[in-house]
Amino acid sequence: MWRRSASFILDKRNDTGARPDFVSLSPPQTTASTMADTLQNPNAKVSAYYQTRAAHHGVVTSDWLAQAQAAVGKYSPESDVRSSSSAAADPGSGKPFSVIDEFNNWRKQPDLAEAVAAIRALAAVIRSSEATTMMELEIELKKASDSLKSWDTTSISLTAGCDLFMRYVTRTSALEYEDFNSAKSRLIERAEKFGEISYKARRIIAMLSQDFIFDGCTILVHGFSRVVLEVLKTAAQNKKLFRVLCTEGRPDRTGLRLSNELAKLDVPVKLLIDSAVAYSMDEIDMVFVGADGVVESGGIINMMGTYQIALVAHSMNKPVYVAAESYKFARLYPLDQKDMAPALRPIDFGVPIPSKVEVETSARDYTPPQYLTLLFTDLGVLTPSVVSDELIQLYL
Amino acid sequence: MQFDDKSRVEKAKKRAVVNQTEVRNRVELFRHLPQYEHGTQLPDLESKFFRNDPMHRAVYKVGLQYLAGDITGGNARCIAMLQAFSEAIRDYTTPAEKTLTRDLTAKIGSYVSFLIECRPLSISMGNAIRFLKNRIAKLPLTLSESEAKTSLCLDIDRFINEKIILADRVIVRHASTKIRDGDVLLTYGSSCVVEMLLSHALELGKKFHVVIVDSRPKLEGQSLLRRLVANGLNCTYTHLNAVSYIMHEVTRVFLGASSILSNGTVYSRVGTAAVAMVANAFSVPVLICCEAYKFHERVQLDSICFNELGDPQAVAKVSGRGDVNYLGSLGNKDNLQLLNLMYDATPSEYISMIVTDYGMIPPTSVPVIVREYCRDQLWI
Repeated sequence: MWRRSASFILDKRNDTGARPDFVSLSPPQTTASTMADTLQNPNAKVSAYYQTRAAHHGVVTSDWLAQAQAAVGKYSPESDVRSSSSAAADPGSGKPFSVIDEFNNWRKQPDLAEAVAAIRALAAVIRSSEATTMMELEIELKKASDSLKSWDTTSISLTAGCDLFMRYVTRTSALEYEDFNSAKSRLIERAEKFGEISYKARRIIAMLSQDFIFDGCTILVHGFSRVVLEVLKTAAQNKKLFRVLCTEGRPDRTGLRLSNELAKLDVPVKLLIDSAVAYSMDEIDMVFVGADGVVESGGIINMMGTYQIALVAHSMNKPVYVAAESYKFARLYPLDQKDMAPALRPIDFGVPIPSKVEVETSARDYTPPQYLTLLFTDLGVLTPSVVSDELIQLYL
Repeated sequence: MQFDDKSRVEKAKKRAVVNQTEVRNRVELFRHLPQYEHGTQLPDLESKFFRNDPMHRAVYKVGLQYLAGDITGGNARCIAMLQAFSEAIRDYTTPAEKTLTRDLTAKIGSYVSFLIECRPLSISMGNAIRFLKNRIAKLPLTLSESEAKTSLCLDIDRFINEKIILADRVIVRHASTKIRDGDVLLTYGSSCVVEMLLSHALELGKKFHVVIVDSRPKLEGQSLLRRLVANGLNCTYTHLNAVSYIMHEVTRVFLGASSILSNGTVYSRVGTAAVAMVANAFSVPVLICCEAYKFHERVQLDSICFNELGDPQAVAKVSGRGDVNYLGSLGNKDNLQLLNLMYDATPSEYISMIVTDYGMIPPTSVPVIVREYCRDQLWI
């Protein structure tokens, strides 16, 4: 299978002259993705969101990254912008480009959520902006936000995070100050605060959910959510005795990765294939999932398989808890599974499939709110109907 | 007012402008709702039309239109009433020794009682009247009479424009994103917002099919059918008893509402609850299109405690078919009571989404909108 070693990436770089970030996930038979065009989504068939997550979940550590960067530090002028980890944007290049660069810069850390990276990038846009009026600044911000959103239209948390940031920041009463600079510094302050809250959201959620994990409980986890991992890590640190059942999570193999992480924490883990969820449901006390996005009805959009698990849990009266940061609240309202923007992900079955056979490649599904018990967010422990309340208050 | 309280009914009758005679044979369960003989007072009222006292002629006209059934539908009734009030305010002069605010409020109150006698108020009209009384009460005392009157007329125009006309456009824009090519949409009765939505979706070039479900005695769906077919839409027309037969082909249900209550219950034309229930059983999403000014903080659990009774004879007779008179001789028997309900309450579990001018919200968020509305003084 794919082994991402620094030398492999460097070889590829020397061959095609491209950046190491966008390692293609498509099976070897297809043509090589356009790695040179780094400012667009390289492979339109695969949702970039899932590509990123997979790229992170390969063996990419920060030392490797630093090593790779250092190795190509002399290669292209773009790397100068990349290697500067501070927020200074390059005034020479066009504004939208530097937002994407900034964004990619932040995104490289595997622990940082995409939306938080976007929020940080937008905060950097404000800081480095040369606008002299509030209107100009807002327009600039809007353009940057749009370009970030268009980079990957299938990522809900990215869109939601950008929209919420815009609302939160431009709602400030600082916009009425006469002095533009003080208004701007107020904006920067709010932007930083929003970035901080979003960054710390995981810790807050982990602390809030501790009350719900009791000694001797069995938790079913689906998908590799960093928030859920944080929750379980904190529980383990608090010396709680519990065990975790992970679904395999085909085709991403999220269960394998998660069980790896949990084994490191000395938490008893049991792996299930996805079809074994109903079989094991009676020994389970609660289901814990993360969310790609939380929609206005209070339902969640998450990795394929979440809806199934929620249905089984609901019919067997087991609570389903969702751990999601508040910047994932999106103004979407799907009525059924097909009512969302499609996010496709090629599946490798291991054997060649005849061309006449269609494959369902959607990567995510929608779980309606009646199957969810509680949402753990940085705003507190909420019921699904509160999501709309929060959105109305922000957008009204 | 509860109409099963005899003393109050007597007192109200003495003050009434319209002489209504009550129906003799009434359903016990609905004694608390007013029910009058239909069509007896129209000639009497028409003879009083040209007197300007005690009722302004615009208000009188609107009342007669309600009584005759010429204006139906929450939005139409509300707009007609507000425009009549606007005219009445323009022609108003403050009598000597009285303040504008108090006297005008009393006058509006008398107009409203007259309109109630013609036909009980819909909830949208109630909210509009509350808005108007609130604006009158908030008039600064320093304004002269003509300035106050102009300000009130402007407020009324703004209310109609923002809360009804523009709101409808926003609703249509949001809801048309939920219509996809190849959809089969079902609607019940005739709602003006749903009609605008379907026309707009057709203009956007979407390919869909419409099923119109209708019911007696009002048969409101027929006029909607005529207009949609004239627009070029593919329509199917059926009656309420066939709704479970046709529901398996339907992909979305769009319904209008007279009002939405705080527990998410939709108060709408009788028959809506049945359509929503069948749609729910077939897992078809039900979308309610309703402007936010129709929301009310009341809570209703059933269709009995608050409703409107229509003409009971309409149930027994079929218009245009004089030969269908099977109940002719039984009409005056004591053990036969005819009931013609106008509204019913649809529980919130059957509703998937409510489309308002505030966007698409789940039924559980209705009290949030009511709370935000009141807080921002946008409405109350």
